Amino acid sequence: MSIATPLAGTNAPIVAAEEERRPQPDTTERTNQLEAVVRYILYGIITLFLFIPFAMTVLSSFKTSAEVIAFPPTLLPSVWHPENYLRVFTETQNFPRQVFNGFFVTLIVVALNLFFDALVGYAFARLEFPFKNLLFALMIGTMVIPGFVFFVPRFIMLQHAGLINTYGALPVLYFVQPAYILLMTQFFKSIPKELEEAAIMDGLGWFGIFWKIVMPLARPALLATGILTFAGMWNNFLDWLIYMQTSNMFNIQLGLATFRSVYQNQWDLIMAGSVIAILPILIVYVAGQRYFVRGIATTGLK
Amino acid sequence: MATLAPQAPAITAEPRTKPKRSGMAAAQRRAGLLFVAPYVLFFVILQAGAFGFAIWVSFHHYDLLALDNPFVGLRNYLRLPANADFMKAMGNTVEYAVVVVILQTAFALLLAVLLDTKIKGRNFFRSTWYTPSIASSVVISMIFLYVYHPTGLLNSILGVFGIHTTIAYLQSTTWALPAIMFLNIWTTAPTFMLMFLAGLQDIPREIYEAAEVDGAGAVRKLLSVTIPLLRPIIFLVVSLGIIGAFQVFDQVFIMTNGGPLKATLTVAYLIYLNLFKDTGTVGIACAEAVTLGLIIFGLTLLSRRVIDTKIEY
Repeated sequence: MSIATPLAGTNAPIVAAEEERRPQPDTTERTNQLEAVVRYILYGIITLFLFIPFAMTVLSSFKTSAEVIAFPPTLLPSVWHPENYLRVFTETQNFPRQVFNGFFVTLIVVALNLFFDALVGYAFARLEFPFKNLLFALMIGTMVIPGFVFFVPRFIMLQHAGLINTYGALPVLYFVQPAYILLMTQFFKSIPKELEEAAIMDGLGWFGIFWKIVMPLARPALLATGILTFAGMWNNFLDWLIYMQTSNMFNIQLGLATFRSVYQNQWDLIMAGSVIAILPILIVYVAGQRYFVRGIATTGLK
Repeated sequence: MATLAPQAPAITAEPRTKPKRSGMAAAQRRAGLLFVAPYVLFFVILQAGAFGFAIWVSFHHYDLLALDNPFVGLRNYLRLPANADFMKAMGNTVEYAVVVVILQTAFALLLAVLLDTKIKGRNFFRSTWYTPSIASSVVISMIFLYVYHPTGLLNSILGVFGIHTTIAYLQSTTWALPAIMFLNIWTTAPTFMLMFLAGLQDIPREIYEAAEVDGAGAVRKLLSVTIPLLRPIIFLVVSLGIIGAFQVFDQVFIMTNGGPLKATLTVAYLIYLNLFKDTGTVGIACAEAVTLGLIIFGLTLLSRRVIDTKIEY
């Protein structure tokens, strides 16, 4: 008893404490549940906020022009008009050509950047040559110069080269992009040197090493560069506006923008055209999301 | 225009271990110079050359078609303060940039913090939240022409909440500039969200756990742990925001043409008008572009000072 008493004595408070504590997990569980509900409502509101304009654009592209801006508004098309997509191609001047122009120039620029950005990036990452550090510092330093400073001189240069309003204009201006050279440089620095060292011993020249050994290893970085260059060039509006002059040389973005000022009230065609303009990027984004996301996180580019 | 953070000078190309034989070293030097030649070409002609040319033009009364372009010294620059359009455009641009940079940075950080949790459906939210950033400026402008239409999406949604209005936002001197601000915050924040998210994932969990042990709540953790540790990314986002906001053009061109009554006239749009629409104003356009460049450069440096931090990656 003399032993049991202290035990009982200590036991009692423990039980009491447990009884006191027991309701607590319940309330935290309840607040957790409440918190989760509040959370999902918040996430839902943000999702609607960021996504509704797209959803409405896609739905609107199947409506008649009048119904797009009808008052009171409709959510779903009262009658679906998939032929809007056909009409964009047939009723708007040069639209098919503009889709082609966008793809053609974008793919040329992507190909040039995949090769040259990797080549220059490899030199900065692995080779020792005069003025290397100076050039690298210049490349980084000039990235902050606002693009508007370059428009006049580049326009005059292209004019003298006879490249204004030709397919050559944008590939000449964008055959390398410092941001993606940097991305490639950082990637090449991160891969082990052993394979290249073995290739040096085998007497493969530097270009052979670059082309046969290093490029196959660079797939992730090349994909990031390719996807981001594709997105940038396909979505580009300003350069096309400045360096292209006739509607048969426009890309789809510039085409849409001018189309809008000509066909003010054709909301059905404007909406369908917008969906077509976003489609290639959407496909590239969904297919290459991993690389896209990583590329943006490391270069800060859209 | 593609731009990258000015924080990058911290990264310098590492020298390679010296090769044993000088023949190999010479071969490497040759290969290096050859490989880097495309960039040198780009730099000399399209960057340094173009920049020098822009400054040269800014000292002249220049016209794209004229045979004689007389030297005018600093006149194009000195006349800017007396140029009503330029001052109006600069005022609009500064107002626009201040609002947009602050709000889009805050919104992007909020989105990233919300996604940096173990919530179910995280990938779904990340993908859908990012969509405003994948569309082109033109498509976004088209969508918002519809959103801001007197009987468009915005007024329809307001109608659901009992607010019945048919304001034509883009034709209103009060609403046009805020409307473009809102559109740009909406479309740019998700890009910066991804950058913040990458930064958040680098913050060790232990620091949060330590803060929790010290009794820090969610807000306290955000202010005392997250924001200080994210300073390098905040600097990056603010710099990129400044560079972008001061050059806002596409949406103005497509949606308002600088109107109504110059309410959305921005410096970038004015430069475009002086370049291609007015005559004999190319020199002025270059002076405006160089001035804009200096302002952006100065503000980027200033934001680095304010956020004052050693950037390391």
